[in-house]
Amino acid sequence: MGKVIILNGSPRAPKSNSKMYSEIFVKKFKDNCDYFNINNRNHEQLIKTIKDNNYSDLVFAFPLYADAVPVGLLKFLKELEKANIENRPTISIMINCGFYEPKQNDIAIRIMKVFAKKTGYKYGSTLKIASGEGTPSTFFKYFLFRKIKKFAISIRNKKYQDFVYTMPISRKLFLKASTIYWTRYGKRNGISKKEMSTMLIEDK
Amino acid sequence: MKLVLCDKEFDFIKSEKDINYFNLSAMKISNCVGCFGCWTKTPGKCVIRDEAVKIYPLIAQSEKVLYISHIVYGSYDVALKTMFERAIPIQQAFIRILDNETHHVQRNVIEKDATIIGYGNISDEEKEIFKELVSRNAKNMNFKKYNVIFATIENVDEIVKKEFEKWEK
Repeated sequence: MGKVIILNGSPRAPKSNSKMYSEIFVKKFKDNCDYFNINNRNHEQLIKTIKDNNYSDLVFAFPLYADAVPVGLLKFLKELEKANIENRPTISIMINCGFYEPKQNDIAIRIMKVFAKKTGYKYGSTLKIASGEGTPSTFFKYFLFRKIKKFAISIRNKKYQDFVYTMPISRKLFLKASTIYWTRYGKRNGISKKEMSTMLIEDK
Repeated sequence: MKLVLCDKEFDFIKSEKDINYFNLSAMKISNCVGCFGCWTKTPGKCVIRDEAVKIYPLIAQSEKVLYISHIVYGSYDVALKTMFERAIPIQQAFIRILDNETHHVQRNVIEKDATIIGYGNISDEEKEIFKELVSRNAKNMNFKKYNVIFATIENVDEIVKKEFEKWEK
């Protein structure tokens, strides 16, 4: 078994779903997996860690942001491209979006694959998660956790594969579930559904 | 109203009465922190009160937009990408179905004609990815129609000048 590093590219990394999913992933590797959040100040340190540890695999866990890769991760990729890393790990991706359709992640995955190709990294497995925002608060999380474990095993065994998860319900039901999810989210902040539905931007 | 967002200075473009021009690389705009505040705490308003706050209402109100960005790995480079991520207050948390896909409900965002110029040393594969990215943006940014144009570092000024002259009419 090789040694794996998992980097969380979520802008809210310490409180993110990407972190929760990474923790499930890490369990499959026991002591052979290091986990770090990416932030604007730790690029140099993370690159040094990659250089010093001779990892076999590098996993990026991140959410879809504005149809693509979050800008914090994009900045890190640009730094990683400049770094002179001798033994380049194989890159795998665990991406999640809040939409129902897993294919909404496809552009971000292609961006990551182009990065790998351009910079001389091999590409490994992909886990494409949809309805990733709402799933952890439902029973369906166990379906997702099973996919994360399979994704981890594919990397552990170097039998790279693609995996897909979305909530196993109809799109119509998803729509209802997401409305309930967000309404409750607002309520916890003292904001009503009507207030959340305002059409005003900056009060205009 | 028209809006130009770019990541380098074009001295032939100026803000005029109905054109708003911003060189984002010269502005201080922080990353979105993913707090969902603009959806669930102060709907329609970002909790980070920096210069992005004056730009996203203009994104919503403009019927013509010209976006000029360096391209990296088939994506907008940092300046434009940062701004687009900070523009989510113009959407609601709630989801709707559009073209048989789930997307966020837009607040008062008018339909727009978009011209997007991507520049740099861009491979054919990156161009394909970028075109697809813009087609995804079209659904989430309310583009009625859009045109994607590519330029090199060497000819970007010339191409932007030509396109800007057509676009401002």
